[in-house]
Amino acid sequence: MKEENKSASGGGVMGGIIFLAGFVLALIVGWVVFPNLLFSEKLQPLQFSHVSHQDSSCEDCHAFRPDGTYAGIPNINNCKECHESPMGSSEDERKLVEDYIQNDREIPWRVYSWQPDNVYFSHAPHKAKEIECKRCHRDVSEEKTLPAYKENRITGYSSRTMKMIECEKCHAEQGANNECWVCHK
Amino acid sequence: MKFGRRAFLQFAAGAVGGTLLSPIPWQLIDDSAIWSQNWWWRPSPERGEITKVATTCLLCDGGCGLQARLVNKNRAILLEGNPKNPVSAGGICPLGAAGLQFLYAPYRIAQPLKQTKSRGDVSGLQPISWEEALKELRTRLAQLRSQGEAKTVAAITGQRPGSMSDLWQQFFAAYGSPNLFHMPTGYDSLELAAAMTAGKRSPLAFALENASFVLSFGTDLLEGWGAPGRMQAVYGLWRKGDDDKGATKIVQVESRCSLSAAKADQWLAVAPGTEAALALGIAHVLVKENLYDSEFVKNNVFGFDDWTDTQGRTRKGFRDLVLAADCAPDAVSKRTGVDEAKIRALAKEFADASNAVVVWGGGQGGLPGNLYDDLIFIALNALKGNFKSDGTVTLSPPVPLAPLPGLAMDAAARQALARQRLDLQQSVQTPLAGNGIYAFLDGAAKGTPYPINVLMVHEANPAYSLPENRLFREALAKVGTLVSFSSFMDETTQLADLVLPNTTALERFDDAIGLPGAPYAYYALASPILNPPAGTKHTGEVLLAMAKEIRGGLAEALPWSDYKAYLQYRVEGLAGSRKGMVSEAKGKPPWQLQAGDLVETNYKDGADLWKKLASGLCWYDAPVDFFQVLDTSSGKLELALNALTAKGLAGAADQVYLPRFAQLALSGDEKEYPLLLVTYRSMSLTNRYLPNPPFMTKNLWDFMLKGQEVFVEMNPKAAQALGVGEGSQARLKTLEGEVTVRVHLFAGAREGVLYLPEGLGHTAYDRYIQDKGVNANSLIEVQMDPLTGLGTVWATRAQLRRA
Repeated sequence: MKEENKSASGGGVMGGIIFLAGFVLALIVGWVVFPNLLFSEKLQPLQFSHVSHQDSSCEDCHAFRPDGTYAGIPNINNCKECHESPMGSSEDERKLVEDYIQNDREIPWRVYSWQPDNVYFSHAPHKAKEIECKRCHRDVSEEKTLPAYKENRITGYSSRTMKMIECEKCHAEQGANNECWVCHK
Repeated sequence: MKFGRRAFLQFAAGAVGGTLLSPIPWQLIDDSAIWSQNWWWRPSPERGEITKVATTCLLCDGGCGLQARLVNKNRAILLEGNPKNPVSAGGICPLGAAGLQFLYAPYRIAQPLKQTKSRGDVSGLQPISWEEALKELRTRLAQLRSQGEAKTVAAITGQRPGSMSDLWQQFFAAYGSPNLFHMPTGYDSLELAAAMTAGKRSPLAFALENASFVLSFGTDLLEGWGAPGRMQAVYGLWRKGDDDKGATKIVQVESRCSLSAAKADQWLAVAPGTEAALALGIAHVLVKENLYDSEFVKNNVFGFDDWTDTQGRTRKGFRDLVLAADCAPDAVSKRTGVDEAKIRALAKEFADASNAVVVWGGGQGGLPGNLYDDLIFIALNALKGNFKSDGTVTLSPPVPLAPLPGLAMDAAARQALARQRLDLQQSVQTPLAGNGIYAFLDGAAKGTPYPINVLMVHEANPAYSLPENRLFREALAKVGTLVSFSSFMDETTQLADLVLPNTTALERFDDAIGLPGAPYAYYALASPILNPPAGTKHTGEVLLAMAKEIRGGLAEALPWSDYKAYLQYRVEGLAGSRKGMVSEAKGKPPWQLQAGDLVETNYKDGADLWKKLASGLCWYDAPVDFFQVLDTSSGKLELALNALTAKGLAGAADQVYLPRFAQLALSGDEKEYPLLLVTYRSMSLTNRYLPNPPFMTKNLWDFMLKGQEVFVEMNPKAAQALGVGEGSQARLKTLEGEVTVRVHLFAGAREGVLYLPEGLGHTAYDRYIQDKGVNANSLIEVQMDPLTGLGTVWATRAQLRRA
């Protein structure tokens, strides 16, 4: 009776192999295929080389306002200071000058670390604690081209958007307040 | 090998196991949660630099200090109190806090509109350019004026007191029409009461900050009376108490257990409309037991004892009237429903208190009162000597702004013009003439003795907020053109023929002259927190533009290039007076100033004062001594209405000239309408020009408004007798109309009385405002005060049946 059953479909070793096949396949789909499906790669409107701009300090462009709040990605006036007319011959710089500077239009950068509206985040206390930028942001000191912006097809946020657990972990390590209202006002 | 059912299940089990160990389910759960946070209807505030702008709140006439938070200087995200304002001290009411909803409301009017179909058909209101709109109005006004029909142009404004209402007066005087009215307010009767007793037509004011005993007759101390920001601060002072005087005792006299009554130390539940009778009862005890300030009364009050009128006839004084049997505690107890012993005890406590004050003013002070009631409360204050220079009651001091240029017209011409006012041309005339908006509407509806060709409505919504608002609609049927200056598509604007949208109170230069009910002089400037939308225009600018184009003295009377220049001219005059000071960190707050105190001026000149005012600071000066500004023929406070004898009321009985209890009769048959309908107000409901913003509607209890249905409050015993219970649907009927409501059982409601909130039942605006509850103004009855002709409201006969 058992013999019959075994031959009808996978039993014993064969059953184990079939189970394993399903298991491995699902793992491959889950860990390799799914992430690629979940995120769509978007290009930035322009290429930008952080390395070429290393003569200035981070805060010359990524400025903080007098009240300590972060002013966001530099605006077109920052670019204008040097690129009123093209300094080199790259296609991206031509676009910068002709499309944006001359039209006085802001560059619609995609922000890698854009946080949802329900998160209150202020750079000021982190700056006061002298936490390095690269603790949370990517290190751009060697970066020649901007990485691809991977957008989550469901949420619309970048794959690099910091998740709550990372905030909490650091807050716990540093002994900072971890209560809900610290970030969710 | 065959891939059978069993193998499939084995494979599937493996796949499920593998999937559970992969990020798929967990990531999807997390992502869908985040996705649901970003649904399309969820507002996403702009990000950017945050700045703050200080200004003055003009959403009501409370003049509170306001501070707006802006993103990128172009999007307002928060309104909060300005802690630098010495009066409101950072306080703000729910309307102020919700004020941004008006700025970004979908029912805002984006450009001028003209009715192309029949009146009232909103689809017929088609956009036109500002040039066309101004030309249309200008042509009509110029044409009527050249035909000698200037008086057929009328206006109703809802904004006062401020430079804008002064500008309206100047415009109408120069144009040549006397028919300028404002929406009814408590000032209307208070000013006439002050004119009778003090010879000065300016509202009474109360030094509440210094009071240690407050006897409030139906005043909504906590529901928006006076300046709400000031009242919050005052209430804080009362409850905190000073080291030397302790906490202030508050006694609230009114028929319903309102918030003010619930938070008071003592609540005396009187029958509706008998508050003044109770005051007379207290006065009776004071006089009979010699507990009043006899020295003050002897030296400073006219008409307490027998007096001689202008005809030389000797008449009985207030002492005789108040000592009569119908003012004795037993009679008053029967009338009001308050125990005799309580009346006596209250009178003694009032007499003993060092800084007692009697306040009144019909709810929020939004409607004129019965003049005799006002006089009774003045008399009670007089018996206590509260009008002394360090007392608690005085007249609102003037603010010495630059006066508007004189008109070419001589005094006789002006008087002749004033006499032509439509309300003064009607068959029924009262001895005192005030803001006769009801008589005006009556005249306009009849079209006699002359019709109204153009009616302009500014910052007012009479089709909704005028008690017995059908009178406005009836008058409108005979009005040639209705011009609305509203920023919003409200009930009145829906009926307009021409709409010239104003900017909202947060987007323009404007001002507040004086604080309602406050004894010190106060002036504050409102500056725009944002630029107004391109399609709107400050109505002040419209008037100035009209004045320039219509010939014949208007341009000279209104010579300013724009509204800001006009305000700067006024502030220049204020600076020129070298009086008062700007609220800066040092210096006494205004409420600590005594009458006659000299304050050190802390501004250089007009430009400096303007700069300081525009930065959100306010100007203030000491109160005035009542007897320094008093201007009566006897030189005293006149309890006997000596002035009435000169107003065509010479031969009446003695009591007609004295503060007496004279409740106005209600219409309707008591058998058919056995209940009384009384309206009440809440800090979470606004009931005048502005509609209730949704933020405030959210604050309403679900036993006030549930879904679209409003509740009337009634006493549980009375409800039982009618066979209705909590939440029962019922039909509420008055002579004015019939509506469906729900019943809320409330032990704080008086038996035989139904209480309905004001401020609901809009039919215009958007779906978040309209059709919520019923409009109390369409159900209540207005009684004309026989002395002043002002429309007063105290109760309406009603019936309630189970639906």
